[in-house]
Amino acid sequence: MTKKVAIGCGLAAGVAILISVIGPGFADVLAAAQAGSDEAFTKLWLDANAALLRYLRVIAPLAADDIAADTWVHVIRGLPRFRGDEAAWRAWLFTTARRRTIDQARRRSRRAEEPIHSVHASELPATRDSADIALEHLTTRAAIAHLADLPPLQAEVILLRVVAGLDNQTVAKLVGRSPGAVRVAAHRGLRRLAQVLSEAGVTL
Amino acid sequence: MRRRGVSDNDMPSFSSGARWDASGIPDAALAALLAGAPPSPDESAPLQNVADVLAALRVAPLSDEVAGKAAALAQFRQQVDMSSQPNRSRRRRPTLLSSLLRAKAATAAAVTLVGMGGVATAAFADALPSSAQQLAHDTIGAPSPHAHSSAHASNNKKSDHGGTPVGPSASGSAAFGLCTAYAHAKQDGTAAQKAVAFRNLENAAGGAANVASFCASVPHPGASATPHSGPPTSHPTGRPTTHPTGRPTTHPTGRPTTHPTGPPGS
Repeated sequence: MTKKVAIGCGLAAGVAILISVIGPGFADVLAAAQAGSDEAFTKLWLDANAALLRYLRVIAPLAADDIAADTWVHVIRGLPRFRGDEAAWRAWLFTTARRRTIDQARRRSRRAEEPIHSVHASELPATRDSADIALEHLTTRAAIAHLADLPPLQAEVILLRVVAGLDNQTVAKLVGRSPGAVRVAAHRGLRRLAQVLSEAGVTL
Repeated sequence: MRRRGVSDNDMPSFSSGARWDASGIPDAALAALLAGAPPSPDESAPLQNVADVLAALRVAPLSDEVAGKAAALAQFRQQVDMSSQPNRSRRRRPTLLSSLLRAKAATAAAVTLVGMGGVATAAFADALPSSAQQLAHDTIGAPSPHAHSSAHASNNKKSDHGGTPVGPSASGSAAFGLCTAYAHAKQDGTAAQKAVAFRNLENAAGGAANVASFCASVPHPGASATPHSGPPTSHPTGRPTTHPTGRPTTHPTGRPTTHPTGPPGS
């Protein structure tokens, strides 16, 4: 494996490397991306796309990749006009993704057709072949599968809190519920998850 | 907690036979997990499992999750290229729109002109209804509707003649021109003495022999004892009642050899 440090090997190496947050340098990265810097945009994209896909693979498993691409098209188009900090950026990104998901669901229900592809994007062969990466995939995929088994609202609010890194207030606004309802849904989801894992004796 | 009436053997997934209840997890511990805080080492095993699942959701991007980078970057590049030429892209749309509008306006103007041209032609052809003809007469100098009836009368008169050529009146203002043409035609030996215009001239002179003396008495139109000053006080009204028809068969060649010499009116 060549760029192990840059990509990260997650739980396989025994260290949980969290999805990065750009942090204090965000304003500069955003300004550079808005000025047309490929490097800055790549940084924004790398920072957010994995989180986006993990969220979408739970709330729209059959069209996650398409919706993610569609989301970026909209975000790229609106990027020059975006104003806000990193939290606002992530909120905008996931709000866009959610709207794209709802649009996609409407189109799908109108067409009422069978999904063309049954192969999940995460099942595609990885470009790197190592035991670490295989385990990495398995672990993350298993985690996504556990979340997907939860009631939709519980799964969504947990993902928006944990993966998108949004606070309770922002998530409430995004899903159109009260902050109290979101908190309750998230806690119920985690308790349910704990119960399922305990009963199945499953560990990652 | 044990389930009553169910033997431990019937519950293979619970090795201890006791069912752990997740409702006992305090809200604070869940809130900490949601906020990304690592679970404390003394947390219960089920909560540790939840923490592991959430950590697996946060791991750094996997290879298949960065596969779309090139496509996203290309999309970004395209957008940047488009917006880096704001003048061109902003100007192009109005240009297209305005050129379309200009084309429409030009078409409308052309249609209007054609329409106006048609009206003007009709006005000068004296073919409009009386009120419209009067308007055309007042504005663009077309014949008045009063002339209209005389024109009709003239037409009727002409049709009565069965299309017989009339020719210019040699007793009027055409006399001088006729005399000039007559002189040339005679000089060249090609005088079409039977031409209607010359017949008129001969009639006015009282015979072919008197044409020369008659013509000598016709004043030169350009020689006036009293030069005009100011606009004419009177204008001919109505249309001429007779018109030359057909093309003249002879044409004057060379300059006139004779000119009237006396003052007008002599």
